[in-house]
Parts: sequence; C-alpha cells; structure tokens
Amino acid sequence: MYVIANAWHNVLRNRGRNLLLGAIILVVIVSSVVALLINNTTTSIINDYKGRFGSEVVISPDMEKVREAALSNATGGRVMMRAPQVSNDLLLAFGTSEYLSAAEYTARANVNSEQLSAIDEDKGGGGGPMLGRAGPGGQQVTEPLGTVFYFQLLGNSFDDFESGERTLAEGRFPESVNECVISSDLAQNNGIEVGDAITATGELTAPGAEPDPESEAAAETKLTSYPLKVVGIYDDATAEYGDNMMENAYTNRRNEILTTAETVVAPYTQDWTGISVSATFYLKEPGMLEAFEQEVRAKGLSDEFNVTTNSALYEQVVGPVEAMKGIVLTFMAVVLVFGAVIMSLLSSMAMRERKYEIGVLRAMGMKKGTVSLGLWSEMLMVTGVCLVAGLVIGAFAAQPITNILLQQQIDAATAANSAGAFGAADATGAAGAMGAAPPGAASSMSSGGLRAAPIGGGPAGFNGGGSAGVEPLSEVVISLGLDTALEITCIALVLATLAALIAISRITKYEPIKILMNRD
Amino acid sequence: MSVLTLDKVTYAYDGTKKQVLKGISATFEAGKVHTIVGKSGSGKSTVLSLIAGLDVCGGGRILHGDDDLARIDRDRYRAQGIGVIFQSYNLLTNATAVQNIVLSMNISASPERDKKSYAFALLEKVGIDRETAARTVLKLSGGEQQRVGIARALAHNPGILIADEPTGNLDRETESEILGIFSSLAHDEGRCVVIVTHSKRVTAIADVVLSLNNGCLSVLKS
Repeated sequence: MYVIANAWHNVLRNRGRNLLLGAIILVVIVSSVVALLINNTTTSIINDYKGRFGSEVVISPDMEKVREAALSNATGGRVMMRAPQVSNDLLLAFGTSEYLSAAEYTARANVNSEQLSAIDEDKGGGGGPMLGRAGPGGQQVTEPLGTVFYFQLLGNSFDDFESGERTLAEGRFPESVNECVISSDLAQNNGIEVGDAITATGELTAPGAEPDPESEAAAETKLTSYPLKVVGIYDDATAEYGDNMMENAYTNRRNEILTTAETVVAPYTQDWTGISVSATFYLKEPGMLEAFEQEVRAKGLSDEFNVTTNSALYEQVVGPVEAMKGIVLTFMAVVLVFGAVIMSLLSSMAMRERKYEIGVLRAMGMKKGTVSLGLWSEMLMVTGVCLVAGLVIGAFAAQPITNILLQQQIDAATAANSAGAFGAADATGAAGAMGAAPPGAASSMSSGGLRAAPIGGGPAGFNGGGSAGVEPLSEVVISLGLDTALEITCIALVLATLAALIAISRITKYEPIKILMNRD
Repeated sequence: MSVLTLDKVTYAYDGTKKQVLKGISATFEAGKVHTIVGKSGSGKSTVLSLIAGLDVCGGGRILHGDDDLARIDRDRYRAQGIGVIFQSYNLLTNATAVQNIVLSMNISASPERDKKSYAFALLEKVGIDRETAARTVLKLSGGEQQRVGIARALAHNPGILIADEPTGNLDRETESEILGIFSSLAHDEGRCVVIVTHSKRVTAIADVVLSLNNGCLSVLKS
C-alpha cells in the first residue's frame, strides 16, 4: 500500500515531468476516444445496413434475356414482351430455405365488389389480359380482353403509411384474416364506415393457358370471394395515378383495398393464376447468396431471373460512412503508434533522470519488483487522470468532428456520383436503376410491381424489407457508451504499461551500487 | 559479541584481474565503534559496499551472524539488518526529511504504528527539529542532510550501522555532534558501528581501528 501512496507523492512532487507526460497521454486518449466513438458508431450503423441491404435477396428478371425471348417469339409483326413472374408456388417454396433469416410476403388480387362504386369508375377498369397493337398513326393502343377489374386487393402493402403519404384517419390496421382498410375517398363515395362488411370478388384462371392475352381471356376461370370487414379508413395523399400510367378505376390508388397477405392468398389454388404473391427474402448472412441461388435454381427458378443482393443500395447508403470509418481508423492507428513511441521515449528519459532515486530506493532495500510496481503505479495514475479528462473532452469533440468528416465524404460521394451517373447506369443496368430508386421499387422488380412488406401487415410490418430510405446517411449521432469507455481504458492501460515496462526494464538492470557510485 | 565477520574476503572490479581486497579477515562487535582507515583508492568504500550488501565479494565470506551474505536475500538484509550512512547522503531530494524516514520504515516493514511520529522523534534525536524535518531535503544544509541520513539508517532499528566518511563534508562543530551520536549509538545502545574515514577525530572515538593497505587489512587499535 505504501508503494501506491509513495507513487502518488512522486506524481505530485514531479509536476513538470508528469504534466508533459500527461499532455502526450491526453492527446493520445482524446484522439483515440474520438476515433473509437466514430468507429464503433459507424460499425454498428454499417452492420445494421449490411444486415438490411446486404442480405436482402433480389430475384429480378434478366431483361436482356426477356427481350431476346420476346423477339424470337414475335409472330405476325407482334412482339409480346412480358416480364416473367416467379410462380406463387415457387416463392412459397423458396421461403423454406435454411439460408434465410426471414421471408416476407406481399400479395395482390384484382377484385370487384357489388357494394362499392370505384373512384373514376367512368374511366373504365383494367387488370385483366390486355392486347397491345399498333394503332393509326403508329400509336400504341391497348384494349382489355376478358374480365375488367376496378379494385386491387393488396396484402401487406403499407409502405405509404411509413412515409407519411397515407395516414390512418379512423380505426386500426388489419391484424387478422379478412380485415381491411380503405381510403377515405372510397369510403365517402360509398358511405362505408369502420365496422362495415364488404365482399370482393376475384378471379382465378386455370393452368395451361398460353401466355398471351387472347388465350388467357379464353381460358377457364373460377370466381373467388373475399368477405372483408373494414377495420380502418385512411387519408391518402399519394398521387392518384403514377407517371405514364393509364388512368382508370383499376389504376387509381384511391381504390386500393389494403389487407393482410394471408387474406389475399387464402383462395389461392395451386397453378391457377390471378393472385400474385411476391416475396422478399433475407439471408442469414450475405455470404450465403450463392448457396441460396443454387437451392432456388434447383427448386425451379428459371435462368430468366437474376438472384442478387442489394449491394448497390448498401454501398450508396453507407459508402460515405465507410470512408469516414477508414479515415478515423487510420488516424487512430497513427496516433496510437506515435503516442506509444513518444510515451516510451518520454518515460525512458524520465527514468534516466530518476536513476539516482531508483538507486537510493534499491540501496534502502526496496526490491526490484516493488520499485517497478511504484513506477507503473505512477504511470497509471497520470494515465488515469488523463483518461477521465480525455473521455470527457473526446465525447464532446467527437460529434463536431464526425459531422465535418461525414460532410466531406458525402460531398465527395455526391461529386463522384454526379460525374459517373450515366456510366454507372449503363454498366450496372437494373442494379443501377435500383440504386436510384426507393428500396420498395427494388423489391418490386422481383415481385411484379408490388411493394414488399412483412406478412401479417399492420404497424408491426412497417420495418419490413425495403421500407427504409435510400438517401446516403447524412447524420451519425455519436454517444459515449460503456463499451467504448472500456476499450479506451484498455488502450490507455496497455499504453501506460508499455511505456512503464520499457522504462522499468532500463532502470532495473542496474545494481544500486553502480548507480550510487556513478553519482559519487 | 561478533555480529559481522569478514572471512578471507577477496574482490576485484569488473573486467580487471587486480585484486583490491586480498583475502581480508576481520570481526565487528556490537557495542563498539570500528573505523577503517587507509589511503584513497585503497578499497575502504568497497569494503563498506560489501558489508552493506550492495555488492558481492569475489572470494571468501561475509557473515551476518551465521548467515553468508552471498546466500541470503540482500534486499531484506539492507532493509532490516543494517543501516547505511552514505558520504553523499543519498536521500530522496524531492521528499521531505520525514518522508525519507517514513519511506525507509515502510521498506523495512517496520512494526511502528505511527511511523510519522516515530520519524519525527528519530530526527529530533539527531538534532533535526520538526520544522526542519518538514522541509524537502534540497532545502537542508549538508550537516542537516547528514543527520537525516543517520536518522534514516536508524529508522528500522538495525544492529549494525555503517557510515562512509560521515563527517567529510561537515564543519568541526557539526562533526563533533555527529561523532557524539555514533559513540552513543555504539556505547549506549549496543549497536555495532563501522565507519570508513580519513579523519583522525573520528578514529579518536573508535574502539577498534583497522587499516587497509595494498588490499590487506591490519589492526591498528583494538
């Protein structure tokens, strides 16, 4: 115990030397605190995004192959180009893969209802087989064949609520089968209130029809019935029609009836078409992509589809943060190396000054180990004081430094993206387009125009795949956690011990008589 | 009663073959003041270093009681068995006089409960008042530092006290006071006192005078 007390006295007695040493240690600790805080925060962000984007599987049509197939199948001057779809059965089968951490399904069925009058019903409907042909003057003309639908029954499509474009005005979200929410416009148009029951009717087409509108229109069909209970009404601020979209009741978004995915797929019959299921798959680890692709190919996924992860989106979002992380880690490594060298040199120089003192202590009978313990204690005391000060200063300094570094990286990334935007789009094709679009759109490529969301619907599903924003991270909130404090403490301990050990090894190799004789 | 014995002790400095000590033998008894005299470079301080356990002899034995210094824990021996007073004091200059004493007591694991009070008492015994004892060593005169050195050597109550030219830097008055202390420690308290000196005033108070010449030790007075 007296060793510790004596060490403390020594720290106070030799203020000049210890202030110099402390200043170096403080610089090292503050730099390390800032670097570690940034590193730890960005690492958790990167891991989070890697988990969300790096592991999200995108099964998208290979449009080059689709185009080639359409051209080779052209008959009578008509080119039928349809984006291939993965069958519902396959999507459901893929979801059982052991490589997945989650499989989130959405579904869609085209429906009509005798109780409901659609918004813009006078503009007609759609959703059934459409025939496209060249009209007078070379304009493309499409006309429906078969049943015309006025409503879309969407399962688990709640992204617009998260973005704020849709808000629940009354009631609640669907939580179980056969519950639904409708737009306030549709509700007012039909005098529907929360709690009312409505029935929607869909249509399934028998398997075996040729993949062309005329064959589909002539194929056997059967009706499906959806007995729905309206549990909520929402205000809708989305655009009624998408850009370049045909305007009719079917494409009007006010006519969308939102429900759970289970509700939509309930009447599904194997191999019959009419209910579109889309899925978003999440790998347990991004590295499992290859194995997952092999499995889905073996289960029947054709070569017309690409199986990829959303790495482009991930890179776009976290690129600046990763660059900033690299900078701070390099900076920390340099600071630690230089800090350790300077501390060791200072400590060695201090020990040379204290050679006489060590000789006296040894002559008085103090053992080498006790002398070493005293010297180490002194170094730890100086380091401890600097650690407390360094943690406080570093915690306050980290946020503004982070903001500056991140802004620099964002500016650099923005400049680079602007310069190479066209080239990147050409080179990456669909992936490039995905990078520029919301994640929902990225998922929609794999699901035939549907936005992905977890099965089960409701607020709990809002965190589902593809609902996050795609803007590069523009803000990183830094806070000092226990883990970072412990890491800094360990670094400080190691540095102090290293510096003390070097000094101790130098000074304790002398016998006291030699030290004292030199002095004499 | 013999407390320390030199038995055919030889010594040569590192890297040299010339023997500074050529098989010297002597006994040092409790209750007596012993002085070792000799020309400069004759090896007096070397003898003291060997007795103090700061160095090890090349041949022969140095016995503390029945223990061979070459075979015992010399750190412990220096801390508890012997008190050393250096010519250049060898105090911790940034510490106060009393801190030097307390530190010595701590190193020797002194059983005293109130070490600080005991240190003040010791310093008072060698002529250092409380005000002077609270000053850092750098602010003390040579005589005061020597007294602090003596007090420190006595802090763990050793049976043997050795001193290297303890009055070399002191005026005559102070020298007399210091010698009085040594004499009292030997004759009144029964300690074995060994002093290396050139001073005839020191040899005058000695009970035993040994002369070191050409590596050999001879008895001038016993």
